[in-house]
Amino acid sequence: MTDPAIEINGLTKQFDDVTAVEGVDLTVESGEIFGFLGPNGAGKSTTINVLLDFVGPTRGTASMLGLDVSDGRKTLHNRIGVVPENYGLYDRLSGRRHVKLAAELKDADDDPDELLDRVGLSENDANRPAGEYSTGMSQRLALAMALVGSPELLILDEPTSGLDPNGARELRNIIRAENERGVTVFFSSHILEQVEAVADRVGIMNEGELVAVDSIDRLRQQLDTGAQVTLCVDREPDHNLGDIPNVRDVDVVDGTVRGTCLEPAAKLRFIDRVREVATVTDVRIEESSLEDLFASYTREDIGEDTGDSHAEPVVPGGVAQ
Amino acid sequence: MSVRTIARKDLADAGRSKMLWAVTVVVLLSTAGITGLLAAGSGMAAGEVFNFSFQLAVTMLPIVALILAKGAITAERESGSLRVLLSLPPSRRDIVFGKFLGRTALMLVATIVGGLATGLVVFTILGGTVGSLASFIGFLGLMSVAFVAIGVGISAGSASDSRATAVAVGVYMIMVVLWNLILTAIQYGAVELGLMASGSQPGWLQLIGLFPPNRAANAAYRATAQGQLFGTDPFASVWLPVLVLLAWLFVPVTAGYLRFRDAQIG
Repeated sequence: MTDPAIEINGLTKQFDDVTAVEGVDLTVESGEIFGFLGPNGAGKSTTINVLLDFVGPTRGTASMLGLDVSDGRKTLHNRIGVVPENYGLYDRLSGRRHVKLAAELKDADDDPDELLDRVGLSENDANRPAGEYSTGMSQRLALAMALVGSPELLILDEPTSGLDPNGARELRNIIRAENERGVTVFFSSHILEQVEAVADRVGIMNEGELVAVDSIDRLRQQLDTGAQVTLCVDREPDHNLGDIPNVRDVDVVDGTVRGTCLEPAAKLRFIDRVREVATVTDVRIEESSLEDLFASYTREDIGEDTGDSHAEPVVPGGVAQ
Repeated sequence: MSVRTIARKDLADAGRSKMLWAVTVVVLLSTAGITGLLAAGSGMAAGEVFNFSFQLAVTMLPIVALILAKGAITAERESGSLRVLLSLPPSRRDIVFGKFLGRTALMLVATIVGGLATGLVVFTILGGTVGSLASFIGFLGLMSVAFVAIGVGISAGSASDSRATAVAVGVYMIMVVLWNLILTAIQYGAVELGLMASGSQPGWLQLIGLFPPNRAANAAYRATAQGQLFGTDPFASVWLPVLVLLAWLFVPVTAGYLRFRDAQIG
């Protein structure tokens, strides 16, 4: 497989006078877990709807597994598994019947019970009509249908909505297991932590445009807000701690010493330095949250604010500021 | 392959809808019931009773068929299950024609059961020939399927279920309730414009009279009763109204599919 799993070129989609997606270029390589991020209304779903041939593009092209999403649709849909956004189930049909339907339509010989078991639906659940399912169970069933026919590419649009934390973790395990089998996973979410936990790379959509595509680590480096290290001490040191390389905003309050560390080694230097002057009883480290990262790409008002002291870059060699 | 799978799915799903069956049973029982009362109390011959029931059925069955079919696509579009189907290999064509097949099967079962019940009532009370029952059920079945085709076509061409319902009711009003009036108006207008002599029945006017499936079925049933399979007058023969009915099977579904093919499922 040398074809990229997903290739989008210059995609623009207009609905009447609203431009939902504008000039999106995106390549997802085979074997990746790709997280597609953005707030609601950013154009994620429209992009996915084009990929699934639910809507036609106004301009641009899209292909998956080397096949045009519209011309190659039938072959393509045999080779992919999808949990679409706002999907519905057949209230009167059992969970098992749903998976069977997918298997028949995909000409696959999967055992429905095995798939249902994999997504955490019991045999008892499988016999019940889907109309009686909770949101979480429906989501599991939709995933089981997507896994029918051992797809090469999984497209999951907001797959964690409606899942409790436990269900979300199980979903991540399934995503990882499928990925180890060689499956490319493309999933969208407006919740960062879901993406952060599994994605190799992420793309961030905002107002119809793809504003960033990179690995989470690299994105975090770009943002560079550092980690907040809080040390509980037996007595507040009266030494000047402001000269530690790559540690900023050192503050002593209420029996704690706090500082923002711009790189991993700075955390250790900071801790060592404080221990020279006081006994540290506890350590708490908060990494720069991805929320901040996400917000920086999706909120317009943040552009000017990043000019404050928090935006100081890491200094190579660790020279103190 | 996909068409058949979707048809079977649709049968299993729609066939479990209690509302659908309740409406069907009420309509069919009332048809058979009224027929029974007539057969027992009116002193009419079996043939006349069948004629009367046929008139009753061609006004009742179209609305049953339309209600049964109008949600075929729109209900799935609104529930979101259409997005699941479209994520799987079946094309939009497979879905429309699969749905048409499924709803047709449902409607045929209802029509045949209702027709047999009516026939049984008439036979038990008055006796009669199996031949008359066959054309009774046959033409009602054909007409019912024509209205299923119209309903599925409407459903495929509508963006929402409420819109499909409105159009389906409109079609029923025009074709079943108001067609006589429309026909009279056309006739009157044509005479006024000098297109035809007052009191005459030109071919084109008769064709308009035959246009709705319910009227075509009625004409075909009457012609069969009179043994006019291929008579000199096409409007009094079986073949022309049957041709009209067959056209109804294909045209609305195809037109609906063409609209659905280009629809944005957002």
